[in-house]
Amino acid sequence: MRWLLSFLLLGLLSVVHAVSSSGSKLLVVLEELADKTKYSKYLADLESRGFKTTIESPKAEKIALFELGERAYDHVLLLPAKSKGLGPNLTPKLLLDFINAGGNILLTLDSSHPTPSALVSLLLELDIHLPTDRNALVVDHFNFDTLSAAEKHDVVLVPRPDALRPDVKNFFKGAGEDGEIIAFPRGVGQTLGNTSPLLTPILRAPRTAYSYNPKDDVEGVDDPFAVGTQLSLITTLQARNSARFTVIGAAEMLEDAWFDAKVKRSVGLGGVGSGAKQVKTANQAFVKEVTGWTFNEIGVLKVGKIEHYLNEDGVKSNVTNPKIYRVKNDVTYNIELSEYSWDHWVPFTPPTGDVVQLEFSMLSPFHRLPLKVASTTKTSTIYTASFKLPDQHGIFNFKVNYKRPFLSNIEEKNTVTVRHFAHDEWPRSWVISGAWPWIAGIGATVTGWVAFVALWLWSKPVPLKLTTSGKKIQ
Amino acid sequence: MSDIIEEPFFKGSTGRNTRGVLRLTILCLIAAAAIASRLFSVIRFESIIHEFDPWFNFRATKYLVQHGFYDFWDWFDDRTWHPLGRVTGGTLYPGLMVTSGVIYHALRALTIPVDIRNICVLLAPGFSGLTAYATYLFTNEMTTSPSAGLLAAAFMGIAPGYISRSVAGSYDNEAIAIFLLVFTFFLWIKALKVGSVFWGAWCALFYGYMVSAWGGYVFITNLIPLHVFVLVLMGRFSPRVYVAYCTWFAIGTLASMQIPFVGFLPIRSSEHMSALGIFGLLQLVGFVEFVRAGVPSRQFKTLVTGFVVAVVLIAFAALVLLTVSGVIAPWTGRFYSLWDTGYAKIHIPIIASVSEHQPTAWPAYFFDLNLLIWLFPAGVYLCFLKLNDEQVFIVVYSILASYFSGVMVRLMLTLTPIVCVSAAMALSYLLDTYLTIKSPPEPTDAQILDAANNSSSKKAGKQDGIRSTREPLVGIYTTFSKTTVVSAMTAYLLIFVLHCTWVTSNAYSSPSVVLASRMPDGSQHIIDDYREAYQWLRQNTPEDAKIMSWWDYGYQIGGMADRPTLVDNNTWNNTHIATVGKAMSSREEVSYPIMRQHEVDYVLVVFGGLLGYSGDDINKFLWMVRIAEGIWPDEVKERDFFTDRGEYRVDDGATETMKNSLMYKMSYYNYNSLFPAGQAQDRVRGVKLPEVGPTLNTVEEAFTSENWIIRIYKVKDLDNVGRDHASAASFDRGNKKKKTTKKRGPKVLRVE
Repeated sequence: MRWLLSFLLLGLLSVVHAVSSSGSKLLVVLEELADKTKYSKYLADLESRGFKTTIESPKAEKIALFELGERAYDHVLLLPAKSKGLGPNLTPKLLLDFINAGGNILLTLDSSHPTPSALVSLLLELDIHLPTDRNALVVDHFNFDTLSAAEKHDVVLVPRPDALRPDVKNFFKGAGEDGEIIAFPRGVGQTLGNTSPLLTPILRAPRTAYSYNPKDDVEGVDDPFAVGTQLSLITTLQARNSARFTVIGAAEMLEDAWFDAKVKRSVGLGGVGSGAKQVKTANQAFVKEVTGWTFNEIGVLKVGKIEHYLNEDGVKSNVTNPKIYRVKNDVTYNIELSEYSWDHWVPFTPPTGDVVQLEFSMLSPFHRLPLKVASTTKTSTIYTASFKLPDQHGIFNFKVNYKRPFLSNIEEKNTVTVRHFAHDEWPRSWVISGAWPWIAGIGATVTGWVAFVALWLWSKPVPLKLTTSGKKIQ
Repeated sequence: MSDIIEEPFFKGSTGRNTRGVLRLTILCLIAAAAIASRLFSVIRFESIIHEFDPWFNFRATKYLVQHGFYDFWDWFDDRTWHPLGRVTGGTLYPGLMVTSGVIYHALRALTIPVDIRNICVLLAPGFSGLTAYATYLFTNEMTTSPSAGLLAAAFMGIAPGYISRSVAGSYDNEAIAIFLLVFTFFLWIKALKVGSVFWGAWCALFYGYMVSAWGGYVFITNLIPLHVFVLVLMGRFSPRVYVAYCTWFAIGTLASMQIPFVGFLPIRSSEHMSALGIFGLLQLVGFVEFVRAGVPSRQFKTLVTGFVVAVVLIAFAALVLLTVSGVIAPWTGRFYSLWDTGYAKIHIPIIASVSEHQPTAWPAYFFDLNLLIWLFPAGVYLCFLKLNDEQVFIVVYSILASYFSGVMVRLMLTLTPIVCVSAAMALSYLLDTYLTIKSPPEPTDAQILDAANNSSSKKAGKQDGIRSTREPLVGIYTTFSKTTVVSAMTAYLLIFVLHCTWVTSNAYSSPSVVLASRMPDGSQHIIDDYREAYQWLRQNTPEDAKIMSWWDYGYQIGGMADRPTLVDNNTWNNTHIATVGKAMSSREEVSYPIMRQHEVDYVLVVFGGLLGYSGDDINKFLWMVRIAEGIWPDEVKERDFFTDRGEYRVDDGATETMKNSLMYKMSYYNYNSLFPAGQAQDRVRGVKLPEVGPTLNTVEEAFTSENWIIRIYKVKDLDNVGRDHASAASFDRGNKKKKTTKKRGPKVLRVE
């Protein structure tokens, strides 16, 4: 019986194994369960990746993000709701607390229903702004799908996004084939505040897109909410605790219909795509990547062992991670980094043009050194740096502060004390050539004094003689 | 034969022994009285370390006992001055800790298990007994009167001026330093009188001990050379002076240089130059004397005198030159403030901010010394009557110490010994005169004639300074006048004892860690907020949680809460203190990055508004502002904390800068909630506070003690989703962010 149980457990474990790095409990918030069928492929994808989904209506009594003060779910997927509010269990405060507690949220918007005010104010807190018109959607007269939106031009077709910067990892390129097209049907575009460094867009609207309210009867739009690449279609925010929050502007992207749909793009600026053929959308693969990223399946970094030790004259000290060093010690620092890739840990290598750096700092960095790859194991890379401690005593930190878009934050601080030279660690006086005159001086004085005392003690006193006049003479 | 039978105890060898035993008994009693009167605080409160600095000394002593001497010597303290740390072993006077450590280990060796804390608490009273004995020895060198020494010892034992720094629990450097000071002076006088290398060497060794114990050793370093210089000027140069001084200087300087904190100061700093200069001068004078003995020529003497003067002038010029060029360290600020009491306030606020560095108010003299202060000049005058080398010392010491005690309150301590000695000399002279029952025989006519003859000669003029002694009035020898004077003196002495006990009990026995107040029914009420808060820190914060507070509380936090601090009472780094001052006196948005950079976890403020405890941070706040202004004159301005009419206010009329400062906010945060609406009252400043209390965004209240004296705030982390603290806090309070619908000006485009 017992072996059966252990087999069962093992089986369970293997299921659990093939899942996000931060747990598998997923809450899907869906107002009408009937709509579930619309997303069947997407949800099946999630379940096949090991997520244990719970589907609840936002109005349900028992829906709760927290249970006894602890997170009840690891991830939340918010599918669009028809009603204006989200109920008392999904207030912006609770959602923010959920993020602060390390939970991930994937939020989908839909232009056909106005976004609930709770979500608007949550997004506002995160410095993500939605169009003021509740029904605004993204329109592009140059990159629309001629099959489904020939009239309204509201199904925007975009290629797979390029990397944000050349030195940032791109998780959303798929296999990297050209010509893959993502359909963004009737979505809500967002603009991002300029101050928050945590916000990163995944997918931006083409140059010619703009936000447009179809309810407006006016012919032209004179002051659009946002245009071109300022309009973000899919936005991410990675909080400081590495909790992830993603906004997908068009919930329809996740629907089965758009997973299978064939699209044909219109003629773009300068006649681009004039000869376009009918192709299947890349939505399914792309959404998987976006979801996977949000739910900590990719782009998650893990710090393994950190060790630092004295490394004087190339001799490694047996004591690792001592609390105290001396100024001008030679020290080696090692850090082990792994990256999670869908279901297993792999060695982490930064993208080309980027390096992991080590800071040795007190108030400000005294050293900022690139960490070099020392060795690689099956699941991790060990980075190393060796350096001489500065000639300044104090309380220092070995600090690895590696924060990049789409990679979870690494901020590792190891505090050590750097002390001054002890009284017996200085070179002895006779080693210092400058001290020789003084040593000679001491020698001369001592010898002279001893000689004087000897002379004094051994010289026989001359007896006093009295002269006739009574004066003493020697 | 009949003589011996009649007075066997006070004559001959038996008499000497009896007197010796009596003297010993009296000295023991004096020591006992000295110790006993210092135990008020232990009896009233408990065996606890007092105030601020003693907490550091206590912590250092514990470190010494735990880790041994060498580790103590090389101690790098990473729990103070975060993140700079402090080379503690090299920046303290180790004498006190080593003394306690030696006592501790000696008692251990004798299998007497005593807690190191009790040794530290009782060290000062113990040494006060020794001080009384040292004063006895010192006074005996000064006068032939056998009673003067005992009186001086008694005075020294109970004078409040000394008790103020040596009650039980006041474990400070002064605890042993005053004993060393007096004993070194005794040895110096001994060496000078005998002219022996032996006593000179002892003097130097105790001087070395003194250097290891207290920064006030500079007083000895300057007083002894000054004494010698005066002697030389008075033409009292002798081989005795030469031998005593040279021995003391050579060995003493070497000894003092062994202390890491002193190091090369004796040859580099201006404060020590007088000793070096006098050493050189003595060589010259000695050489001149030697030559003069050999060559008795008038011209030669003039030449040599000229030579000496020239050398002195050249040496002085060289000194000035070296000081200006920076080879010799220029005078420190503390030194300047000795001459110009307003100097520190303008240039070094950090020195002026310490209450014990303020000039002394005149009632303090009567408070601390009572009847001694008016006997003191009489004693100094008596020294002029019989002016030997040692009496010159008293005169020099009196003048110097009187001046310094007027400049700084805490230098009252150096004045006390000489006041005790002089007063004892005056009083014993008085008592010796009036206690003798025998009247001198009526002078015969011949004697009067003789005296008249003598008075015309030089000798008599010198001997009889006071007219009353030259022509004794008949009335002085009557029993009535004697009884009157003696009983008056006895009454004064009794009042003195009463005064000393009263002062000790009421003014100097409060640990200041624990406050005592009286309930309406007269019973004692203990206010223990400090220890409550420190205990909270100790039990509720991680061991390496950094506490930011004003520097006054640094040592206590280190000692009682055992948490790292940013600044403490060892004010070695003015910039660091100014940084804390800036963080306290700036707006939250300015303070927060400073606190982040210094990895501050908790901020501690002292607030007396509820209880009426006037020593709180709002009252010290202007010093923080001034010290911060010294470093960042553009960012922190003292003027901004005063209203237009120049008032320092905390109520509705407070300036915006004041109301927005972190210190103000932390002090009054939530204070309104204690009172009915609009009734919040600050009992220290005696004002009504604004209706709406301050809001705090970057820190959150973590702890407030029972009487609100100590308030501790936790510094918030950066907002998790990248908002600024103000909007995050506003969101937490339930305010919705206003949607900025109407864009003003051109749109801000996102670049990346």
